Amino acid sequence: MMSLNFDAFQKANQSGSELDSIRIKNFNIFQKKGFPSKKEENWKYTDLKTILYNNLNKLELPNHENTSQYNSEWLLKNFEHNQIILVNGDFVSSTFSFEAKEKIKIKPLKTVLKDKKDFKKIRDYFTEQQNSLASLNHALVHDGIFLEIEDNYSFKKPLIIYNFFNKSSENKIINNKCFISLGKNSQLSLLEYYKAEDSIKYFNNTIHHYSIQKNSILKKFSIDNNLDNSYNYHLTNVKSYSNSIFENFLFSSGSSFVKNEIHCDLLESFSSCFINALIFLSKQQHHELKTNINHKHQHCKSSQLVKSILLDKSNGTYQGKIYVDKDAQKTNGYQLSKALILSENSTFNSKPELEIYADDVKCSHGSSTGNIDQNSIFYLMSRGLSKEQANKMLVEGFLNEAIETITEPNIQSLISKLFIDKINKTKFEINEH
Amino acid sequence: MLDIKNLSASVDGKKILDGFSLKIKSGEVHAIMGPNGSGKSTLANVLTGKNGYEVEGQILYQGKDLLTLPIEERAQKGLFMAFQYPLEIPGVNTNNFLKTSLNTIRKGKGLKEIDSLDFLKLVKAKTKNLKIDEKILNRQLNVGFSGGEKKKNEILQMTILEPTLAILDETDSGLDIDAIKIVSDGVNSLRSKERSFLIITHYQRLLDYIKPDFVHVLINGKITKTGCSELALELDKIGYEKMGASTQVVV
Repeated sequence: MMSLNFDAFQKANQSGSELDSIRIKNFNIFQKKGFPSKKEENWKYTDLKTILYNNLNKLELPNHENTSQYNSEWLLKNFEHNQIILVNGDFVSSTFSFEAKEKIKIKPLKTVLKDKKDFKKIRDYFTEQQNSLASLNHALVHDGIFLEIEDNYSFKKPLIIYNFFNKSSENKIINNKCFISLGKNSQLSLLEYYKAEDSIKYFNNTIHHYSIQKNSILKKFSIDNNLDNSYNYHLTNVKSYSNSIFENFLFSSGSSFVKNEIHCDLLESFSSCFINALIFLSKQQHHELKTNINHKHQHCKSSQLVKSILLDKSNGTYQGKIYVDKDAQKTNGYQLSKALILSENSTFNSKPELEIYADDVKCSHGSSTGNIDQNSIFYLMSRGLSKEQANKMLVEGFLNEAIETITEPNIQSLISKLFIDKINKTKFEINEH
Repeated sequence: MLDIKNLSASVDGKKILDGFSLKIKSGEVHAIMGPNGSGKSTLANVLTGKNGYEVEGQILYQGKDLLTLPIEERAQKGLFMAFQYPLEIPGVNTNNFLKTSLNTIRKGKGLKEIDSLDFLKLVKAKTKNLKIDEKILNRQLNVGFSGGEKKKNEILQMTILEPTLAILDETDSGLDIDAIKIVSDGVNSLRSKERSFLIITHYQRLLDYIKPDFVHVLINGKITKTGCSELALELDKIGYEKMGASTQVVV
């Protein structure tokens, strides 16, 4: 499945620090385990080994050529923002036109990996063995983002991280990492935006680490809306400290394959975590959202709302876990998944999990999967709407609840527009049941 | 306007309407009264085009075969049904729904679409006339509405869409006197030579406010008696059971 020349990679990326041996160790772990398959509990609904085998043959390591080439049309317009551009996973540029630059420390991860002193700051993350893909990432990470925001600084405008992929990424396995930390009393709205050149096939294995210190707010949005042929594993690890807020909204609709895995540790009291998602799949797309909210301390709150629409032969999965430590009294945890299956050949899997060791907590979950309500269709059609219009109106209404959770007005209208376009372009040939 | 001939409708082999015939001319208001299970709602559903019924017989609407028309075309040709149980549609804004509905119907009639500003003026005037709280326009369609609000919303839709034939399926059920007044004001304000109404109800009370030209008694899927509005009063006194015993048809 892969022809990875690890020795050549190792030679080209010598750092002279502990990283070199860490890479070897992690590569060996990966080789022993291989890609995750459905035999593993967390990958029950997503047999990555088979998916990669069927779709991507002989994955290679990137050659890091042409990484400055991207289509400038892809940049979002009419929307004031700061930006970081990654092409094929490599750091290309960053602009913070709206911010006080002395409050922001930004470096390409590549330079951090080469600097012994800098590397010490992130060294421990390279020992976390969450799964074989994480080990592979530790072994092969080439570049990414290192961003630190100082105490008492609130961003004036959102930051967009553009994840672009050009022709050079064809058939490559791209491993990168992003480290983003917010000091105390700071605020950042961050938008991850994915776009690949037409029909380029690649596998992006990426790990994001966020640290949110006391009283800080991180709002993170991700837009994967451009129907492309990419395969992605996005692992996100969040550490939330006292009275902080982590808001995460995913618009999961573009790539052929994505597994978004989010781990959020609520480490100190009064921290909160919100994960909301809109999953809109068609053709043979396969998207999974796996969340793991760890309530490690008392008086923390978490809430998740996932709304999914499935057409054609698509496959969606939501595995949401809330873990409540024995010390995490007065926890408030909530999750709800609602899916509309619009085709006989599409599938949705929902697996809510609550693991609770404290006795004074409020935790609830709900999950429903069903078809579009024919009586509602009849009602709308009796008011003159065609079946297609009625279906669109119901789908839009169904998904609106997720859109309404977005608390950043600019980003809400951006995502709203993308999602209306998506609905208008979709042909709703829905079977009656 | 509407000519129903020998209509039968069954669900899963069970006959609900059985040899039902009715003629409604332009400008007429007909009331159909009948006990539970007599086929009143089935009649409304078959006229509107709901799936799930095996239908025999003929319905001519404005001279055309209604049964072959798709649901939305019936609406576009001026047929409207106020639902007995209006559906709650989460996430759909009432104002947007009303506008989309009016525009598809205008389009069906070959008229120009109405823009948002003109529509807002129109809908505000209509809510005011019907004494309906404007706030419902910004709420999700029927979601969390009280029974009365849902029915009033149906009447609001009717006055906006200005149908040629309006069917009210037990719109008065569960309404208090004030709401019944709003419903009947809505109907009365639309009464004209070109427009007809078919009012389906259990009770005579609504007919105190909307004076029908004809009252029909529907029992076991067919009309057993037809009269003028006094028939409703008579029914109120003696009940459906006795009326059912008499199969005499007065036309």
